[in-house]
Amino acid sequence: MTVSRPLVLLLSLVSVLTLLGPMAPARAQAPKYGGVLVTHPLSATPSLSPHEESTVATTQQASPCFNNLVYYDPAKKQESVDTLIPELAEKWSWQDGHRNLVFFLRRDVRWHDGKPFTSQDVKYTFDMVRGAADAKAKLKVNPRKLWFENIDAIEAPDPYTVVFRLKRPQPSLLLMLASGYSPVYPAHVPLAEFKNRCVGTGPFKLKENKPGEYIEYVKNPDYFVKGRPYLDGIKFVVIRDRSTQIAAVQSGQLDVAGTGWNRTNAEDAKAGAPKLVLVEMDNNVNDNVLINFKKPPFNDRRVRQAINLALDRKAYLVGPRQGAATFGGALLPRPAGVWGLPAVEVARLAGMGDPAKQKAEARKLLAEAGFGPGNPLKFTLSTRALALYVDTASWMVDQLQQIGVEATLEQIETGVWHPKMTRLEYQVALNLTGIGIDDPDAQLFENYRCGSQRNFSGYCSEEIDRLMVEQSQTLDRVKRLALVNEIDRKLQADGARPILGWAKQHYVLWPHVKGWVVHENSIYNVSRRQDVWLDK
Amino acid sequence: MRVYVFKRLVIAGVTLLGMSMLIFVLMRLAPGNITDIVFESAGYVDEADRKRLEAELGIDKPVAVQYAHWLGEFVRGDLGKSYRYDLPAWEVIKPRLPVTLELAVLAIGFSVLLGVPAGVISATRRGRPLDYALRVLSLAGLSMPSFWLGMIVILLLVRSLGVIPSMTYVSPFENLGANLFQFLLPGLAVGYRSSALIMRITRSAMLEVLREDYIRTAWAKGQRETQVVWRHAFKNASLPVVTLIGIEFAFLIGGLIVTETVFNLPGVARYLVDAIQVRDYPIVQNLVMLIAVVVVLANLAVDLLYTWLDPRIKYGSA
Repeated sequence: MTVSRPLVLLLSLVSVLTLLGPMAPARAQAPKYGGVLVTHPLSATPSLSPHEESTVATTQQASPCFNNLVYYDPAKKQESVDTLIPELAEKWSWQDGHRNLVFFLRRDVRWHDGKPFTSQDVKYTFDMVRGAADAKAKLKVNPRKLWFENIDAIEAPDPYTVVFRLKRPQPSLLLMLASGYSPVYPAHVPLAEFKNRCVGTGPFKLKENKPGEYIEYVKNPDYFVKGRPYLDGIKFVVIRDRSTQIAAVQSGQLDVAGTGWNRTNAEDAKAGAPKLVLVEMDNNVNDNVLINFKKPPFNDRRVRQAINLALDRKAYLVGPRQGAATFGGALLPRPAGVWGLPAVEVARLAGMGDPAKQKAEARKLLAEAGFGPGNPLKFTLSTRALALYVDTASWMVDQLQQIGVEATLEQIETGVWHPKMTRLEYQVALNLTGIGIDDPDAQLFENYRCGSQRNFSGYCSEEIDRLMVEQSQTLDRVKRLALVNEIDRKLQADGARPILGWAKQHYVLWPHVKGWVVHENSIYNVSRRQDVWLDK
Repeated sequence: MRVYVFKRLVIAGVTLLGMSMLIFVLMRLAPGNITDIVFESAGYVDEADRKRLEAELGIDKPVAVQYAHWLGEFVRGDLGKSYRYDLPAWEVIKPRLPVTLELAVLAIGFSVLLGVPAGVISATRRGRPLDYALRVLSLAGLSMPSFWLGMIVILLLVRSLGVIPSMTYVSPFENLGANLFQFLLPGLAVGYRSSALIMRITRSAMLEVLREDYIRTAWAKGQRETQVVWRHAFKNASLPVVTLIGIEFAFLIGGLIVTETVFNLPGVARYLVDAIQVRDYPIVQNLVMLIAVVVVLANLAVDLLYTWLDPRIKYGSA
């Protein structure tokens, strides 16, 4: 008996498919509509006006109300220029060698109060944020004015076109506009109203805001993205005590929890309720050491280098960070980050080598600077009076003691922490810095540029400032990365703001929560939640 | 009596005036003000903007002027505006008052209901196992901070039943059962410590009174135990207990701050801490003054109650 060749092939194919059948991925479950998702924010938000605030608590709680011109794709874990998606702008176009950015707006968008959205709203918002002389409103506090300082003018030639004219090319502008801190405000609603309520175009409308207690949203039935949101509402319940947060998620009162938690907290929660799903990932927040460049003896490079060398990064990882951190320079290390130094270079940074050798080198540097057993270096190590800070600062005191430095820990109340840092009223400090956008423009200008108000160490280098501008207007991404790495190397060599490590974030959620995506290179940007649904 | 009440009212007034000065000065001595916190935490320091906000809030004026302005408004019943929320202070405080009041009443209620009978029973059963058991319980109450006890209660509930009280406030008019579940546990957690103190004071006062001749006489006349203990002995032993309840009421606020935090109750005590952290002067000053007024009035009420409890105490022209 002979069997034809095509039949053999067919039979073989059927057999293979039969065998592979059970291993093939299950078809994605269709999202369900309805239900109210309950979660807890980092803290109560000072207002519902993201343009006036600097805490992730605000972007978490205000984002469901608003939209941006462009946004980061919530489905992609890593944010970059490649993951931008349209929101209020249907499309956009760079013109004149990246000096003009033109947005073409959607025509089917209405504010929550029924008024139509137009280009005037965009012009109003970003003239206000960039502090234009003829802006129709002025922000009381304008934390991200620096992001938009390169905008020369904003024009609205017709109701559905907006042109951003720039002083110099700046491809990163799109990334700034995609941030959770850059929603578009309605020009017809007084700015002061955003203190306690919000009128946006977003997937959820504000139902009730009880300041310091909870914020509740309901579905916006007129949302311009058809079929979204899936949820009937979202409720952010402010729970201050971490143990209570854990108990609340275990008892099912919270669907998602963990904002501001460490690994132990997340594991505790899961231990009490094993069905909880635990997620750990990078989040672009670093632990850094501020060494005051304006105060002797810290203006001596040898002293700064000694402090940097004494802090054994691997001990930091095991100790205060409980194994949940990665190492890097001034920008989030790859692969989670886009712009970080290569791993091989990171391994050579101060504090990454043999602890005994590095501490010996640190002692030698201190001796050269005039400090030793007879004349120990003494200073106050300041930190914020929060457990997350104090744990690491206490570890630093011990590390420094091993090279003969007598550091006294000073805990500063949150309310006066930033003023003291801004005014450089400290000697050495342990700080945490969250980077709003994984982009050199957002990180470098804010924290390292001469005179920047967030340059808490008082570091200043004309060369670095020049390179910062150069990288910002470099359109070729490979060349830009090379420039950024060059800046990073110089910053680390100068001990501009030694990075201990990049922490990971932890949270837990019940398996019935679907579509809740957290990005690995920013905690600030994707909290719209229009794709979240509950499988109940 | 009228003269006494008048004198006590004058003393109360002077006390409150002193309190107002202390509150005001202490708040101003704390480093930083709300403009520092608002601007510098945002990493944005524009002196012109800062001065504009200071002028808007009135904190650019001399301290004496600010003090006089605030006190005048407080006396007139105007609590000003919360800097943080940009809302009338009363609007922010009002919804939080019933929460704290319910918790305070429950806590004091529990402390009296548990502490007084336990103290009396302990005294009348002196040296017996029940006495020892009650004394151990009271010692435990004194040793355990209320927030720790609250946390343990929450953990036990979630571990054993998988439930905990609601994380958002449930009004008794909305759902009485859920409201009681939400308040009974924190009320007990706070009240337990006070009840331990009340139990100890009641016990020692009762022991002293039970040795008195008139008690012996009452026993000799064949009166029933409940009559001797509660009508003759307890009434005379209750003076220090009443004083203690008054003092405990003043201390209650400390216990409420942490308990409101643990049980996530949106009361004024927890809110006070939030307001201090951001230097929301109108809220802090007015809330602390309101608490001071309540404490002074509670003490005044206790003093006046003495005359009813012990008619031998006469207040008059002396």
